[in-house]
Amino acid sequence: MPAHTSTVHAAPPDEAERRRRVRRSALLLALIAAAFYFGFILMTLVRGWK
Amino acid sequence: MAEPLAPAASHDHDHKPYGWRRWVYATNHKDIGTMYLVFACTMFFIGGFMAMLIRLELFKPGLQFLDPQFFNSMTTLHALIMIFGAVMPAWTGLANWMIPMQIGAPDMALPRLNNFSFWILPFAFTLLLSSLFVPGGAPAGGWTMYPPLVLQTGASFPILIFSIHLMGASSILGAINVIVTIVNMRAPGMTLLRMPLFVWTWLITAYLLIAVMPVLAGAVTMLLTDHFFGTTFFTAAGGGDPVMFQHIFWFFGHPEVYILILPAFGIVSEVIPTFSRKPLFGYEAMVYAVASIAFLSFIVWAHHMFTVGMPLAAQLFFMLSTMLIAVPTGVKVFNWTATMWKGSLSFEPPMLFALAFLFLFTIGGFSGLMLAIVPADYQYQDTYFVVAHFHYVLVPGAVFGIMAGVYYWLPKWTGRMYDLKLATWHFWLSAIFVNVLFFPQHFLGLAGMPRRIPDYAVQFTDWNMVSSIGAFGFGLAQLLFPYIVWKCARSGERVGKKAWEGAHGLEWELPSPPPYHSWITPPSDAVIARGAAH
Repeated sequence: MPAHTSTVHAAPPDEAERRRRVRRSALLLALIAAAFYFGFILMTLVRGWK
Repeated sequence: MAEPLAPAASHDHDHKPYGWRRWVYATNHKDIGTMYLVFACTMFFIGGFMAMLIRLELFKPGLQFLDPQFFNSMTTLHALIMIFGAVMPAWTGLANWMIPMQIGAPDMALPRLNNFSFWILPFAFTLLLSSLFVPGGAPAGGWTMYPPLVLQTGASFPILIFSIHLMGASSILGAINVIVTIVNMRAPGMTLLRMPLFVWTWLITAYLLIAVMPVLAGAVTMLLTDHFFGTTFFTAAGGGDPVMFQHIFWFFGHPEVYILILPAFGIVSEVIPTFSRKPLFGYEAMVYAVASIAFLSFIVWAHHMFTVGMPLAAQLFFMLSTMLIAVPTGVKVFNWTATMWKGSLSFEPPMLFALAFLFLFTIGGFSGLMLAIVPADYQYQDTYFVVAHFHYVLVPGAVFGIMAGVYYWLPKWTGRMYDLKLATWHFWLSAIFVNVLFFPQHFLGLAGMPRRIPDYAVQFTDWNMVSSIGAFGFGLAQLLFPYIVWKCARSGERVGKKAWEGAHGLEWELPSPPPYHSWITPPSDAVIARGAAH
């Protein structure tokens, strides 16, 4: 049997749960990116007001 | 060496779309990886052509061929195209091809987002290149886009800003996809410390991208509002601070350097053990070293701006934190060397490129240490020494890393071996001419030749001629590369699943070429353990 079709493997995680985790982690990372974008603009604004 | 002739074990029952739909609507990680790599190669030649024009103008003192404004546009576009159009997409292409196969996943976690991330890029760069044809010419203020100079750009200014936003969006979406894939899609049993180094370096690179690409986007958004909407973020006349832009830019810019080089560390960590026929020395130390380098990259940005002026304590901090990067980098260089120690070495093209990377990237690292020393930096700032330094990091560093990766995995992708003799020629011509091109620039810089000028004093003539000859040789040698790839795909000798006898990793458990949909059934724990032979 070719190695890539071996049936001896650990139980795969539940597919629906995996999809949920994929969606959640993608959204979290997008929020972090947005926070850096707006955070730096805000920081420059605040510095300008001083 | 290549495994002896074996049938291409490609039982292709795959239902893949054909014609243009396969590429425009692509969601398969291998197709998207191929598109990224073809795009990066195209941009490499466009950016390279601009470099040839720059070196042609600098062959002799005086103005020969280019108008000074156009010369400045060439330096600006060359940098933007090589960084955002060639090196970064090449890494993303390699990530797309290899990460799912290396972690036992059937595809990237977000395939449609993957398609979108790629297709943003051709629009971004068509837009950027179209700026060559607008009144006032293409942007010419340098890739660093410092205000107030960049605010004097003509009609191409909004084109520049919009294309940077598009490139940033593409990178961020690609990085999200990489992280989500590695975190959620690993085969059961593929623990973090069993992952190949290439996957590790990309995971860390993706976190860097998420953190710093939005910062660049924020900076250029503020430039846009300063130019068109009357804000004065960076305009001194309105109470703004142009130096603030430099701080923000380099907070992005220094980690960006590591975004360009960390995946090369991963490739070299795959190639050297394969051709030394030994496991990688100090796998865990390598992972921690890469993570340390990534962390340190966030706290060294102001070493790019010592001459701008800053308190002594800040100068000391940024100087010492920069020097600290030499420690994890040294760990990596010594570990690669230790991997080769008493190994059964052979010198196929991927290994040659990896070895050249090891020597020449280290030269770039040492000149970086020289630049980190504040009083020395006052002398070197804005000279050709800086140009020599970062080109040693990015050409025999990042570009040679990409070449090593492509020559390493090309037999896997195509199921065919490329012309090893021609690829060895490609290596030697590249390795010789890259030094002829960039090494004299150290001398020019130390002698005081400023960067970003189309003309220079006559005492700099000789080394500029040598450097230009090196550039033309290097440029011509690169024409071999697409020919080698094309010839391999058309008529290379067929290889088995393990193209290199010393190779380990899940990708080598798949047939060559791999099926269109690989690892639909996750690999077994035994297969994973066999692959993770570090």
